[in-house]
Amino acid sequence: MFNMVDLTDKKILITGASSGMGAETARLCSKLGAKIVMAARREEKLIEVEKTLEGSGHKYYVFDLSNVEQIEHFIKQIVSECGALDGFVHSAGIGSTRPLKLLKPNVLKAVMDVNYFSFVEIIRSITKRNCYNSGLSIVGISSIASQQGNQTKTAYSASKAAMDATVRCLAKELHRNKIRVNTVNPALINTDIYQEFLDNSGDSEDAKIIMSRQYMGLGEPIDVSNMIAYLLSDAAKFITGSNIVLDGGRLSS
Amino acid sequence: MTIEEKIELLAETMDIEESELQADTALADLDCWDSMTKLSVIVMFDDEFGKKITSTDIKEFVTVNDILNKME
Repeated sequence: MFNMVDLTDKKILITGASSGMGAETARLCSKLGAKIVMAARREEKLIEVEKTLEGSGHKYYVFDLSNVEQIEHFIKQIVSECGALDGFVHSAGIGSTRPLKLLKPNVLKAVMDVNYFSFVEIIRSITKRNCYNSGLSIVGISSIASQQGNQTKTAYSASKAAMDATVRCLAKELHRNKIRVNTVNPALINTDIYQEFLDNSGDSEDAKIIMSRQYMGLGEPIDVSNMIAYLLSDAAKFITGSNIVLDGGRLSS
Repeated sequence: MTIEEKIELLAETMDIEESELQADTALADLDCWDSMTKLSVIVMFDDEFGKKITSTDIKEFVTVNDILNKME
């Protein structure tokens, strides 16, 4: 049968693959035939996710993306052990919730390191000669927070807006090399970051208003992974520089 | 941390004068005890004491003293 989103033998690097949308994307892409290279901090979680992947030839690496300076070396190691990449999904992210008076530079930097600086540094490292195959597709998991403001979400929103702006620039810069670069922008999805949101403000009026505007309810990781898999596939070969909203109706209501 | 240091830190976190924070002050009587201040207290526990507290813990705080007792 014809499969529009065929990822057979595509080698896809996924950061933050140990949980949530990263883990779900790893599982889905493996079902579609891809060879998955997972990177995350927690080895025990990576081992669990690896067991749920279909097919063979997958690999995982324990790496903390806060070490931005080490990323170039890390990518070299991956490419030398796994070969050139066909896809990269940046799912690693920190969900920071802080009032301005507690948003000191070290906190802002910690969020930007994982959510943003590592995204750009990985792209810089994998787009070097011999590190990628023609048709490379890069997908960053951003958020609708990049377009909406909310109190205490300065660091998170800014890091996601930076990702969105970056893909618009890099899409144009890299298209000659047949590389596509996009972000997906989910609203509230059932992940660890959602649990954090519930713990901090789940019963507040703000939270109730947010959920009422997201009228299709809470999203599941697979709702995001489906779009990521599509963007990774050749079926999306005309899409680059886009920020694709997946919000259960929230921004339009 | 002495009781005075705790009150100084809590006053800074809540953005009010130290003199307004007596041990038996009911939090509900403080004008500043809103969702932003509660969140600031959650973050302060994480930053200063490495403690993850949640909105459920916050609900259990009735007086200033309840917060001070947990600051260790």
